[in-house]
Amino acid sequence: MSRGVLVTGADAPIGERFVRALLADPSVGRVLAVGSRPLDEAMPFEDERRLTYLSVNLTRERRVHELLFGPARDLGVEVVVHTAMGGSAAEQGKAVHAMNVSATRDLLALCERHPTIKTFVLRSYAEVYQVQADLPVLIGEDHPLNLSPNAPQYVRDRVEADLHACVRMGLSPLRIVVLRCAEVLAPGTGSQLFDYLESPVCLRPIGYDPMLNVLSAKDVVEAMRMAVHVQEQGVFNVPGFDTLPLSLCIQKWGRLAIPVPGAWMTPLYRWRRQLRGHDFSYGMNRRRFHYSGVLDGRRARTVLGYTPGAPIDWPGLG
Amino acid sequence: MSLSLDLARLFAERVLPAEEVERLKGLRYADAGHGYDAFGLHPDMVKLGEALLGPIYDKYFRVTSYGCAEAIPVTGPAVIASNHSGALPIDGAMIWLDVLRHTSPPRIARAVADHFVPMLPLIGTFFARGGMVGGSRGNARTLLEAGELLLIFPEGVPGISKAFKDRYRLQDWRVGHVELAIRHGAPVIPVGVVGSEEQMPQIGRIPIQFAGAPFIPVTLPPFPMPVHYHIHYGAPIRTDRDYRPEHADDPAAVREAAARVKAAVQALLDKGVAERPGIFA
Repeated sequence: MSRGVLVTGADAPIGERFVRALLADPSVGRVLAVGSRPLDEAMPFEDERRLTYLSVNLTRERRVHELLFGPARDLGVEVVVHTAMGGSAAEQGKAVHAMNVSATRDLLALCERHPTIKTFVLRSYAEVYQVQADLPVLIGEDHPLNLSPNAPQYVRDRVEADLHACVRMGLSPLRIVVLRCAEVLAPGTGSQLFDYLESPVCLRPIGYDPMLNVLSAKDVVEAMRMAVHVQEQGVFNVPGFDTLPLSLCIQKWGRLAIPVPGAWMTPLYRWRRQLRGHDFSYGMNRRRFHYSGVLDGRRARTVLGYTPGAPIDWPGLG
Repeated sequence: MSLSLDLARLFAERVLPAEEVERLKGLRYADAGHGYDAFGLHPDMVKLGEALLGPIYDKYFRVTSYGCAEAIPVTGPAVIASNHSGALPIDGAMIWLDVLRHTSPPRIARAVADHFVPMLPLIGTFFARGGMVGGSRGNARTLLEAGELLLIFPEGVPGISKAFKDRYRLQDWRVGHVELAIRHGAPVIPVGVVGSEEQMPQIGRIPIQFAGAPFIPVTLPPFPMPVHYHIHYGAPIRTDRDYRPEHADDPAAVREAAARVKAAVQALLDKGVAERPGIFA
């Protein structure tokens, strides 16, 4: 029997694409798409009899309870895919933490005592990993996490949500799947690199050209679709098709790379942020602009059957 | 393709003989999609490395190689374990080029460097393009699992910074290289580099950190002298056959294997020093 799937963050670009992918998957039954915006303001979904869209504030535990033990139970939802998380690194504070962490914790706790939900999939982020010179370049699932108290809230929240899901594995009756996805180089995804590449001139620290891995929206959606069907729980890295140095990334995006002394980067990008309202924070990206860090996707390949197959549509030459 | 790679390839193809350029097309590496491997190696930068190091190898240090082709396996994982000395890691560069030139198809000795090397601006990036990796266990494991050739200096920084009076006496010999070799079924190839230990006699060190390096060596003269390099390769120590992977967790077995490698390297050094006509000859 085809399984029902609940998707949070369905009004964000990745969530919306994921909902469409589920609707195109004949092995998926009803899809309950949950967003923060009302239906008429959310992404335009076609009239699809398998789709139900609801606007729910996930930071309100009562609303989440009503969602899960109302429509989700009635539709026979078996899988919850949680993709809703604050997208901007500039957003900070209790409300953001409530959305990023508390909502994840509440959702997971309610799923654990739900009569029909069997699987909880958390879309996590490669930003949870520590990148530094004395750590392996190829990042496996056992790689150290960035647990620094000095990390920005954007990172701390993601680490906390990820760890909470990991801690519940084995203790929970649910099958819990955590997908640590490489950075999705697409608009509206909260990608720091995408925002960095918005400028016609991209500064980079002189003398360093680390290897990066970036993921396309198509591949992250495919990985999440595979996770809906997986029979094992665990943590899986989801790398992208493109592994390349930062300088080549800038070039392929059609931008001009100018190496500058590393000490100049923080103030220059702080001014850019203040004057132009950009999201990119060099402080948050300093280490990965110096040292290579590439997700190792072997476990996802073996267990999920996921292999990155959709390269980034590079707008630049070369 | 980036401008720097285009320039690197053009320069290398002007400097290197046509047959060497052709031979280097047989270079095997795990292209991660844009011509680079996940660690940053690029074949055009390997060519550039050979073009730049070639005159130093041929003319300045007049390197003589003994037994490279016989010792290095054509395929599969292996660990080269060598003595380390000379204040600057020129011995690593000479082994890298020696292996590249004497293996067919050409193999790249992936030097496993101390943690501070990837932190060095320009140098860290250039070395990574030639195949160097930072000295983490995870990096070494990944490369061995991929069947690559590692170059490890078990003496580490104490080796390269040894005092002149300690030349050709192996320092504290770490065991990580044999542990990795045993765990991943790789043989260890002992290598003795003769000449490097006299290239820059160290007379002291300034105990301040510079560009990530743990200290600044004081050498006399302050540049490498044109000593004659002799690189001796010993018969592979079959850590892949003489031990089982579970022995990697047996400290006694690992210590014994490391002692075998150390003894083999010391024997190569003793033989090399005894047989050479002179430091500069």
